Amino acid sequence: MLPKLDYSSPRTLGELLELLDRYKDQAKILAGGTDLIVSLREKLEKPKYIIDIKKIPELGKLEYREGEGLTIGATVTFKNILENPVIKDRYSVLWEAVKTIGDMVLRNRATLVGNICTASPAGDSSPALLVLNARVKIVSKEGSREIPLENFFTGVKKTVLKPWEMVKEVLVPEPPKKSFGRYLKMMRVRSEDLSVVGVAGLGYREGGEIKIRLAFSSVAPTPLRVKEAEEAFAKPGPIEEKIERAVQVAVEKVSPISDVRGSAEYRLNLVRVLTRRLLKQLVEVV
Amino acid sequence: MERKKITFKINGEEKTLEVEPNKTLLWLIREELKLKGTKRACERGDCGLCTVLLNGEPVKSCLVLAVEVDGSEIITVEGLARNGELTPLQRAFIEHGALQCGFCTPAFLIVGHWLINRNPRPSREEVIEALNGVLCRCTGYRSIIDAILSVTKTEK
Repeated sequence: MLPKLDYSSPRTLGELLELLDRYKDQAKILAGGTDLIVSLREKLEKPKYIIDIKKIPELGKLEYREGEGLTIGATVTFKNILENPVIKDRYSVLWEAVKTIGDMVLRNRATLVGNICTASPAGDSSPALLVLNARVKIVSKEGSREIPLENFFTGVKKTVLKPWEMVKEVLVPEPPKKSFGRYLKMMRVRSEDLSVVGVAGLGYREGGEIKIRLAFSSVAPTPLRVKEAEEAFAKPGPIEEKIERAVQVAVEKVSPISDVRGSAEYRLNLVRVLTRRLLKQLVEVV
Repeated sequence: MERKKITFKINGEEKTLEVEPNKTLLWLIREELKLKGTKRACERGDCGLCTVLLNGEPVKSCLVLAVEVDGSEIITVEGLARNGELTPLQRAFIEHGALQCGFCTPAFLIVGHWLINRNPRPSREEVIEALNGVLCRCTGYRSIIDAILSVTKTEK
C-alpha cells in the first residue's frame, strides 16, 4: 500500500513550476516511476503531492545537433536512448551504460533524468555522462541555471536541487572527434542488477596524444569522475606505464564500502582490474 | 486524497471509474477489475510478474499508478486468447511444458506475445534478452525460451 497522496499532471512547464513552487518539498516529480514508486512503498519518501510530468510535450525532447550535441529531456526513457542511432554511434559509452540498466521492460519506463536525480552511487548512466562532460539544466519558477553534472551530486541520493527546482534536461556536448567510449560493469548476475563496480571511459587523441576520461559507479558516495587518473595520460612516456599509473591513481581516489553486493576490498580489486581492462581497450581503438 | 476519474481500455473493453491516486495499476487490475491472471509478488520492479502491456509496451504494473493510465490501452494475459481460443504462443507453452508452478506464466506470455509482434524472427539471444525482466523461480527458462522460439519458427 502506498501512502496517501494527491496527484496532478500539468500540461505545461509553467504550470508544473508553479506547482513545485507552491508545494516545494511536499511534492515529488513522477516520470517513469521505477524509483519513486518503490520509495513510496518502502516509505522512504512521503510526499503529499505527486506531479506527473509525462503530459508535458517539451520534456520529451531528445535532439541531436551536429557540433552542439545532445539534449535529453526529463521524460526521455532509456528505451528512447537505446533506439537512437546517433547515441549508439557517437555516444557509445552512454549507450552501453544504459543497456546495462535493469531490463528491457523497466527501460520502457525508466528515464535518464530520473536516474541522475535519484543520485544513487550505483547509477549507471552517470559515469557515462560524466566522461562526456554532460551539463544539467535546472529550472524553477524563478528562472534557470546550468551546471556541470560533476557538481550536481552532493552525497548518497543527494543533489544540489532545491525543492522548488527540477532538471529540465541533460545536455551532452559533442564528444571529441574520433573518440571511443565504453562502460564496463560488474554485476552479480548477468542482468537486472546494480553494479558492484562500474567504470566509464572515453578515449580520444589531441595533437596526436591519447587522452582519457574516467568515471566510476558504486565506489564512492556519488558517481565519481577521477581526473587525477586521467592526468597520467598528460605526461610523456610509454602507454603501458600511463595505463598502470592511471590504474594506481584510480585505486587511491575511490572509497568503496562493503555492502550486499560486494566488500570494499573486492571493489578495490575490481577497480584495478576493470580500469586496466577498459584502458587497454580504449588505447587500442583510438 | 482526491479521487481521479480515469477512462481506459482493458482487453478491448472501455472502462471509466474513479480511483485513489495512491493505487497502482496492478491494484486496479487485480482488486478493482478482478483480473487475477496478473500476479503480485515483489512489488518493487524486480520480478516482473505483474507485467502487462500498456499502449502496446510491456510495463511492470506495480510501478505504474492507476491514475497514470487515463486514456491508455491495457492488455493483460486474459486479453491474449480470442473467443476462448488460445494463441499459438499459449499452445506452445502447453506443448513445451513451459511452466512448473505457473505463477510467472502470465508475465512470460505477455512479454513473449509482445516480442513476437515486434520481432517475428527473434534469435535465441533476443528472446533471452527480452525475458530478462521476468523471473521464474522454478528456473524453467529453457522450456519457456523453446516455446517462444517454436512459434517464431512455425509462423514463417
